[in-house]
This record gives sequence, structure tokens and C-alpha cells, in this order.
Amino acid sequence: MLECEYCKVEIEGEFQSCPLCNGILSGESTVNSTFPLIPTIYQEYNKLIRIMIFISIVTSVVFVAINMIFLKIPRLSIIIIAALACMWMGLILIIRKKDNIPKTIMWLVALVTALAVIWDYSMGWMGWSINYVLPLVCTATMIIMAIAGKILKIGPKDYIVYILIDSLFGFIPIIFLAIGLLKVTFPSIICVATSAISVSALLLFQGQNTKQELNKRMHL
Amino acid sequence: MSNRKPVEWTRLDNAAKIFPPNTNEKDTKVFRISCKLKETIDKEMLQEAQEKTMKSFPFYKSVLRKGVFWYYFETMDLQHDVVEEEKLPCSSLYRPGHRNYLFQVSYYDKKINLEVYHALTDGSGALAFLKTLLHYYIIEKHKDDFTDKKPLISYDASMSQRMDDSFSKYYTKNKRIKGIKIKKAYKIPGRRSIDNRTHIIEGTMPVQKVLDIARNHNTTLTVYLTALFMNSIYKEMPPRYKKYPIVLSIPVDLRGHFASGSARNFFATISVGYDFSDDTKDFNDLLESIKNEFKKKLNEKNLKEHLNVLAALERNAATRVIPLGLKDMVLRIANNISAKGITGSISNVGRVEVPEEMQEYIEQFSIYTSARRPQICMCSYKDVLSISMVSPFVGTDIQKNFFRTLANQGCEITISSNLPQ
Repeated sequence: MLECEYCKVEIEGEFQSCPLCNGILSGESTVNSTFPLIPTIYQEYNKLIRIMIFISIVTSVVFVAINMIFLKIPRLSIIIIAALACMWMGLILIIRKKDNIPKTIMWLVALVTALAVIWDYSMGWMGWSINYVLPLVCTATMIIMAIAGKILKIGPKDYIVYILIDSLFGFIPIIFLAIGLLKVTFPSIICVATSAISVSALLLFQGQNTKQELNKRMHL
Repeated sequence: MSNRKPVEWTRLDNAAKIFPPNTNEKDTKVFRISCKLKETIDKEMLQEAQEKTMKSFPFYKSVLRKGVFWYYFETMDLQHDVVEEEKLPCSSLYRPGHRNYLFQVSYYDKKINLEVYHALTDGSGALAFLKTLLHYYIIEKHKDDFTDKKPLISYDASMSQRMDDSFSKYYTKNKRIKGIKIKKAYKIPGRRSIDNRTHIIEGTMPVQKVLDIARNHNTTLTVYLTALFMNSIYKEMPPRYKKYPIVLSIPVDLRGHFASGSARNFFATISVGYDFSDDTKDFNDLLESIKNEFKKKLNEKNLKEHLNVLAALERNAATRVIPLGLKDMVLRIANNISAKGITGSISNVGRVEVPEEMQEYIEQFSIYTSARRPQICMCSYKDVLSISMVSPFVGTDIQKNFFRTLANQGCEITISSNLPQ
């Protein structure tokens, strides 16, 4: 056993110097039977991500520079930067929530719809976001989640809540229809219809599970 | 069909609610209890022992999940193996979004480790699990020695008693929430390792010697070591910081004060502080002060009050309906504010008792925890006291002061450490 004469203690393990005072040790070292040697762990941020960030910055800077030199379409650089920002938002979302696929899908739906509305508004409001994007995205999601759930064999309890949320989203077009905000009505009608079918199927066939899931997730 | 089985879930107990929002890479809120046996560990037998133990503690099959207003535990059947120790001690067990159990059994040479995420249970609760695990393991490993009789498992509590949320059981509804003033305490400076590893220096020594030293100073072991820890910190304190008191946070196992067989969290923390700005005072003055603080704060009335305030906060109708994301932010801010009033922590799990028939196979128990600031954890088994000084920082001066003082009074200490060799 190693010994430190300054601290007057015995030391287990193969130390070059005293762990307490860094002083010189005497005696024979023993095997450290308490702690295995674990080398320092260096964590490097994913190289691919860093390259992508760099490309995004380069693209944005180049476009802004070209804009300023040639004074052409000023809006182009803003659109490019906005497009890159949207792509990054989507990417960050997928990376952070990737463990739970139905949840990721729900967040993407919300993100895509919100961004569509913002783009539509900033382009002078043509209405395509609420005429087409919102209803079609919601309908597609409901169908995809129902099919994916069966194929991927995810337990129904895991995605019931998300189907429910999406179905409730799917009822929003009713408000737009009622106010008369829509120029093209058929996507919204399809969406509401799908929502109605989805909710009734959920309550009829998974009613118990749905109630339990909601109780569990929303307990106070 | 698994579709039909109702989902089993539990709320977090009052103490557990603080841990998930404050868990990060610097402080994983994981603690480890180790047991050193006398022979190399057999992986398959340990795995089998784990399966049997989990039947007695089904609560350990819990996965931590986020609800809309609160976190909750959901019981899941997952594949969970015992592993050889190859990760840093007290590494992260709760990864948000990830579905995994909140404990890990590992082994290295002759030692079995149980690492537990603090939201699941506290030291005493985890000890009950470990003792049961050891029971099954030792009986299987040394089958021939136990042919006639099997020792009783020392943890005698029914399933509902184990699952008991003792905070709910003992709180009384007569406390109004009053503001708490945080007084700034001395913060120990230091440099972290690049991988945020927990630096552990463990000293094992004969418990009788330390009891004698404490008796020579007219006090108990815990009070003496608390004062010694404070003094060790003080010796490294730059003079310009002497106006800030050194405050230690001390977890108290409430099972000793209120009857409970709970295998979950049931503890409260008291803080004990001392102002070192007066240079005329010496170690004995420090001891007296600590003794008085313990007497003042470590009584049933004070603990009950503490319990009630925390429970009132949790049950307040207004706070309940705040969404979880916001609650997390508030709890994080509250934790950071209260952390300014704490210098370090000292936790004594006490004597570990094991049935007599198992004692010949067990050498020693140790306890460590992840550390946001320097801490001491200790436990004793038979005649061996294990004091682990845990720190996020690379420096070892405080540990040096602490162990040298004990060694100079005749204590024979063996040091083991996970610092780079």
C-alpha cells in the first residue's frame, strides 16, 4: 500500500503522487479496486452540423453582399435568409424531439402551419396558407399517424394524444369557413370531415385509453 | 393484449419535484451506493438478483415523463441489464425525452454499485433496494452455505408502505407561504474538468476512533465532522470573503422522526452556518455554535414546519395550473437563488445494518453523489466508517485539510480516489 508521510494516510491504487497534497509517496502501489480508470471524455459538436451552419452563414452573407453591391432585388436576400431560418427551425425540432416520432410530427405540423401563415402574410396575403396548407397538412398528418401507428407497431397509448390534438386542430377550418375567410373551400371541408371521423374512431375504439392518457398527462 | 392493460403511473413526491428541472450535465442529481464484497462479482447472478429485487420494488420500473402540468412516473417493461462499470461515477440517468429506467446496477472487480436518480428515491430508500439485491445475490452465489436457512431481508415493509408518498401523509394544512430571505454564503471557487466529472476522494477509517475524537471534543460524530468540514473550507478561504458565512446544507432522513416505510423520497434539508469574520474565535467556538444550530433545527417541530411549507407550495391552486415548462423555469430560478445561500453539503446516511448471516460476505459500503459544489457523504458498516469527499472541482486542498486533521489525531485512514493516477 502506498503511503503519504505528509498527510499520514495510506493510499489505494497506482498513484504517482498523493491525491490529497501531491506529495511524494512511499511504499508499493496496489491495484485500484474501487475506481476503474476512465479516461477524459472529449465531446465535439457534430461536424456535419458545424459545416451546415457554416454554409448557411456563408450563403446569407454572400447574398446580402451581392444585394448591397448590385442594389438589385433587395427582397431576395431576405427571402433566402428566411428560408434558411425555416430550414434550421425544422432541423432543430427534429433533432431535439427525435426520440418521440408522433410528437415530432405534431411539432412539425404546428411549425409548418405557422411559417406558412407568416410567409403568406409577408407576401401580401394571398390566403394560400389557410386555404391549402393548413387543411391539407392536418388531414395528411391524421392519415399518416394512423397508418404509421399500425405499421411501426407503436402502442396506441403513445400516439392517441397526438392524433387527438391533430384532430382538434383539424376543426379550426370551421372557424375560417364560418367567417368567410376562405376562397377555396374543398380542402377545409375534407379536413373537417377527416377530423370528425378520426375523433369518433378514437373515442369509440380507444375511448378508455384516451381517457386514461389524458388523465395521466394532465393531472394537477 | 397490451392495449387493454391500464397504464400505471404515479405522481412525483414533494422532494422529487425539484430534481428534474435542475438536472443538467454539471449536476446529474444521481447518487451511488457501493458495496464491496470479498470475491469478484458474477454478472449473470447479479442480473438474476436484479430481476428478483425488481419484483419486490416494482416502483423501480418507472420512467420519468413530462405531463402538461407536472412530471410523472410511468411503469414500463424495458430491457435493463447490469453492466460493468465503465462510465464516470454518477453519470446522467435522466435524459429528457429518453425512455429508460432511473437506476443502474453496475459492478467492478469485487464491488457492486447501485446508481439512482434522486427523483426516484433518497439514500435510505436506495439502500433498501441494494440490501435486497445483495440478499438475493449472496444467497445464490453462496448457495451451499444457506441450505438450511435463509436470512430475513432486513427491509420489512408492505408494498403499499413502500410506495407511500410520506410527504403527503404527514403534511398538515396550516402553513401560509411566507417569503424566505436568502443570505449570501461563501462560494467555494474551483476549476471543473473538461468532461464535468465528479472527483471523489474516499477515506475509510475505524469508526470507533472517530467516535472517540468526537467524544474528546464533547460532541457527536456528525456535529464534529460538520465543524471539521467547515474549518477545512475556512482554511482555504481568501480573507476578503470572510464576511460571508460558510453554510452547509444537511439532508435529514425523516424516517427517523416520522414513522414511514417509504421506499421513495422522504427527507428534508436543514442549513447550518457559521460566520468566520471574527478572528478571535477558534475551533471550539465553531463546535459550540454548530452543536447549538443542530439542536435548534433538528427537532420534530422545525422539520414538520419545513415539510408543511413545501407541501403548501405544491398544493396551492394557483401554482398547480401553471404549465410544466413555466414551472421548470421558476424552479430553476428558485434553485439558483437558494444555491447562493449554500457553500456545501454534508450527508450522513448512518449505520448500514445487514442480517448477521450476510455479514461475512460483505466488506464495506460507500456512498457518493453527483456534486454541484463540494460535498461529504458518509456511511458506516460494522467498524468501518467511509467518508467520501465529492467535488466538481479539480483542487484537493479542502480534502487535504479534512483528512490531515483526522489523521493527526491518530485516525488510520486509507484513501481511494477516482482522480487521474
